[in-house]
Amino acid sequence: MKPFSLSARGARFFTMRNSLRQAGCWVLAAQLAAFPLASSFAAENDAKPGAALTRSTAVDKPGAKPTADVVMTAMQAEMARATKDLGKTDSRPYYMSYTVYDQNLTVLVGAYGSLLTDASLKRRQADVVMRVGDPKLDNTHGQSRASGMSSGTLPLNDDQDAIARVLWELTDREYKRAAPAFLDVRTKMAVRAEEEDKSPDFSKEAPATHISGPTIPPAFDHTAWENEIRRLSGAFRKYPDVYTATVVLQVADSKSRMVTSEGSAIESPSYSVRMVMEASTRADDGMDLLRVETFQAPAVSGLPSEAELTAKISKMADDLKALKAAPVAEPYDGPALLSGRAAAVFFHEVLGHRLEGHRQRDEDEGQTFTKKIGQAVLPTFLSVADDPTTSQIAGVKLAGTYDYDNEGVPARRVDVIKNGVLENFLMSRMPIKGFENSNGHGRNQPGLMATGRQGNLIVTSTQSVPEAQMRQKLIDEVKKQGKPYGLYFDDIQGGFTLTTRSLPQAFQVLPVIVYKVYADGRPDELVRGVDIVGTPLAALTRILLTGDEQHVFNGVCGAESGQVPVSAAAPAMLFSEMEVQKRQHSHDRPPILAAPGFEMTAKDGQGSQSKGEVKQ
Amino acid sequence: MKRMRALTATIFAAALLVVGVARLGASTPVNGDGSNSRGAATAAAIPLERVAVAANEADGPDAAPAHPAAGGDALLEALLTELDRSKAKLKMDQVQAPYYIEYRVNDVEDYDAEAAFGALRESQRVRLRILRVVVRVGDYKQDSYFGQGTGETNILPLDNDPIALRHQIWLTTDEAYKAAGQALAEKQAEMKRFSPDPNPVDDFAKEPVLTTVAPTVALKVDQSAWDKTLEDMTALYRGYPEIQSVSASARFSATNEYFVDSEGTVTRSGKTTYNLQFNGSAQAEDGMRLSRNPFWTVARAEELPSREKLLADSKQALDTIMALRKAPIVEEEYRGPVLFAPDAADDVIASLVGSNVVGRKPQLGRPNRTVGQFATSYKQRVLPTFLSLIDDPTLKDFQGHSLVGNYDVDSEGVKAQTVNVVENGVLSNYLLGRQPLRDFPASNGHGRAGPGSLPAPSLGVLLLKSEDAQSPDDLRKKMMQMIKDSGNPYAYRVETLGAGNSPRLLYRVYADGHEELVRGAVFNELDTRALRSNLVAVGNDPLVSNRTGGVPTTIICPSLLFDELEVKRADTSKDKLPDYPPPPSQR
Repeated sequence: MKPFSLSARGARFFTMRNSLRQAGCWVLAAQLAAFPLASSFAAENDAKPGAALTRSTAVDKPGAKPTADVVMTAMQAEMARATKDLGKTDSRPYYMSYTVYDQNLTVLVGAYGSLLTDASLKRRQADVVMRVGDPKLDNTHGQSRASGMSSGTLPLNDDQDAIARVLWELTDREYKRAAPAFLDVRTKMAVRAEEEDKSPDFSKEAPATHISGPTIPPAFDHTAWENEIRRLSGAFRKYPDVYTATVVLQVADSKSRMVTSEGSAIESPSYSVRMVMEASTRADDGMDLLRVETFQAPAVSGLPSEAELTAKISKMADDLKALKAAPVAEPYDGPALLSGRAAAVFFHEVLGHRLEGHRQRDEDEGQTFTKKIGQAVLPTFLSVADDPTTSQIAGVKLAGTYDYDNEGVPARRVDVIKNGVLENFLMSRMPIKGFENSNGHGRNQPGLMATGRQGNLIVTSTQSVPEAQMRQKLIDEVKKQGKPYGLYFDDIQGGFTLTTRSLPQAFQVLPVIVYKVYADGRPDELVRGVDIVGTPLAALTRILLTGDEQHVFNGVCGAESGQVPVSAAAPAMLFSEMEVQKRQHSHDRPPILAAPGFEMTAKDGQGSQSKGEVKQ
Repeated sequence: MKRMRALTATIFAAALLVVGVARLGASTPVNGDGSNSRGAATAAAIPLERVAVAANEADGPDAAPAHPAAGGDALLEALLTELDRSKAKLKMDQVQAPYYIEYRVNDVEDYDAEAAFGALRESQRVRLRILRVVVRVGDYKQDSYFGQGTGETNILPLDNDPIALRHQIWLTTDEAYKAAGQALAEKQAEMKRFSPDPNPVDDFAKEPVLTTVAPTVALKVDQSAWDKTLEDMTALYRGYPEIQSVSASARFSATNEYFVDSEGTVTRSGKTTYNLQFNGSAQAEDGMRLSRNPFWTVARAEELPSREKLLADSKQALDTIMALRKAPIVEEEYRGPVLFAPDAADDVIASLVGSNVVGRKPQLGRPNRTVGQFATSYKQRVLPTFLSLIDDPTLKDFQGHSLVGNYDVDSEGVKAQTVNVVENGVLSNYLLGRQPLRDFPASNGHGRAGPGSLPAPSLGVLLLKSEDAQSPDDLRKKMMQMIKDSGNPYAYRVETLGAGNSPRLLYRVYADGHEELVRGAVFNELDTRALRSNLVAVGNDPLVSNRTGGVPTTIICPSLLFDELEVKRADTSKDKLPDYPPPPSQR
């Protein structure tokens, strides 16, 4: 089973349910692992004055002589030695790459006016990729993909001897994995039935050279931010119904360097700031209710002001209070309006994951779209592109922007669907039938082999009405179908999808703010506990029209090649039919005693529990 | 000089995960690397106090009355405030109110650093507060401490803000109580599968109320100096072309443990441990992997070895690896006398005796008194009659060495006690926490836990004593006599052990007195039976072996002489040598 998840948070935070059995530090680790390393923000796109400081020199011409960067020098020297020395062996590698990830991370987690975590971390990791055999068939074929990479920790200081020594260790170790793995692959191929897609295992790409030179990170006042995080998280103290609340600031100053045996030498610096505010409560029936707000910026100076953030917190608390009191929605099948952000997540799950190139040749995959090239899969007024070279839409910074993918291929805009017709897939260097080359979408988190992944998925429409009219269009459709009400999905927390054959092809989008919009003019009614469900091909054809404004969902997407930052952008969409199911939830009661600080206002032992009794 | 063990680490994997993962993420800035903007972090500790005070005042009339037992400690105060509230009011319909609630907080400050080949790979400071809440429903005879009812873990704010602290404590208590309610029902259902025990053992021991608030400890580390020392230790690889891998690490830790329970116990105790480790490895020409992992562990920073001593010891470790590369392989099986130096003997005692004298209650429905090899050995002979074993956690020093296994109060709020474990060879006691065993209704102050993990009976300071200890010279003479008597050309002397009690430095001692280093051997049947029947003499040369990883413990053990053990060739694979040479130096 491979559910591919997208979440605004990047990792599960302090939910009531898990009660931090693994403690916040686990969460932190997941957060750190999720860091947008290789997927750097494009230097030339960071037009902000503050961000301009982050790059001083940018040499970008083929065959440029590498600078005196010690790490790069050590990588290139070791690559040359390995190519020469291992080239003399019987199972010589035909391709090798070294990627070194420098990560300088700061994570501040605040809760109720105090810091839970105040951490800075510096680390340098290396991934050594090796391919033995030839591009047609190598050790990474099929289930043996993991044999293509060994990873380790490199010295932090620029000590050329020590860096070279660890790279040598990793290379020798990787060679001892890759060579036997190739023999194993060859034997298995001989005894197994012929594969349907006989594409080679590795595509031929032009080497690239991009040296960014030293960078200066934008200013970050640690102490000032500790205090701001304390103040922001303290704003949740006013609300007795908010049971858990955290404010997280992650600042990532990263640089990846890559050299390949094909001659590529690429430096990708990146600097990104992400703030996640999360709050939850629990309804009397045990349903955990969650609100999440995320902000992405190229520097802390790009985050909203403290006043704006405090206003968001107040809105989150109000939403939670309303949700706690809202009725549970019944299963429903009928007209639905998705906000732009909800539609964006819908497309990421339903369509985006199924357009990832490697899924088209894996025989365990559902291959929903594999043979649909040239056919209509969406209404003709919709087009979909994945464009990692765009850094901003509708004034929002995109999380899925990068210059070069993790296989050293320049990022490229890919028009996957044009006017409803499927034209392309998101390709890494793993070819599939009819698509022999990468289109710059090979992505991974450090330590995992790259696969085709989404960057910034952008849905555009030619059949749109002003966004303000969308609600009326929903009511019109409800009346037309003779239904009492339609659903309006205002905000979502994320979603997941299953793409394998062993399980039904399905997806789920997890909405958090959903309204019943009545045909008879009654005011909209907030409901809770609904999940959008469905099967991909059917769901996509039921879009009637869209709004005229793009909305962005920034999140962290998890799949085989790990957690990568992504964006999805779409206009609001009206569906003729959408199915929702009741959400599975816990049946634990809300806390028995009143929250500390509210003992006087609510009577301990009677407060929320007695309300629970009414409900049952 | 001691090896690091992986064994205890696995037992306390949970605790290590919590702290270990946190250390991935958490740290204060690295000194001397010019990380300018981060430099502010350490200074941030000062304003914290002000925030806490302000919050206290802002709390005004809502603030609960101060608890004298807290001694003015804001964290204890917050714990006691929530404990009072939960004791008085925590109750759901159709679930009994708790009969017992405990809060334990470990405030951990760590310095972690690692270097390889002369360069630092990691260096960070971490601070983390981990809360563990146990709520017991039922009574001392039978309660909910089962399955999900064994407690909840959470992290606590680092600032001493009463509301923020209490919020986390409140939520965690609520979860723990609900889990306990369900656990008791599940346990009662499970017990129906077994016929009732005619002499049931209580689930939990009531213990005397203890109030002791000891001063807190803090980590005093010259981080950049230690970073440099680790780099210097690992730079030694330059003199050893055949050595494949060299690394060194430091883990210094200051932990303040806070404990309060609904019986009225309030304790605060602090502990520091300082651990350094050096790792070197190489392959022999036939591919056999050889390694040395000496470590140094002390409870006081002043006792850490000097840079010169560390460099000398590290160099010696590399020299012995080089010697091992040339050493002959043990080909033929040997049965005869083996002399264990104290540095090897302590591992034998820890693994064969230490792990079997901790009184862990068996699973529900199992009739044994305890688990492990001594489950049915109470009042039976488990060691030769000339040996006794004591666990004395109250011992702070031994022959001028600080003991990391020392403590005053255990992790269950019980005073540390001296326990005679084995008297003249006979097992007379188990080490106990608050989980009673048949014939052992009370704790003897050995319930210990790593941060965030479940307390379990554990060693403190374990001492092997003998009325009949002999000088190392006499032991050796005795062994030489055995060689003569047995007709073997040689006997074995083991200086230090690796994982699974396999010898790292093993010597053949010939009748004429000369020694020969060998490699590739393991002991066969080095077990509790051999300890009982083949251990014939001990030395008067006790060595302090401080161990960290999980809960810190100390083993104090002399040389051991066995009259017969089996030594045979290890069945290890001979890995391929590197496929190409290491990089040449650019210096």
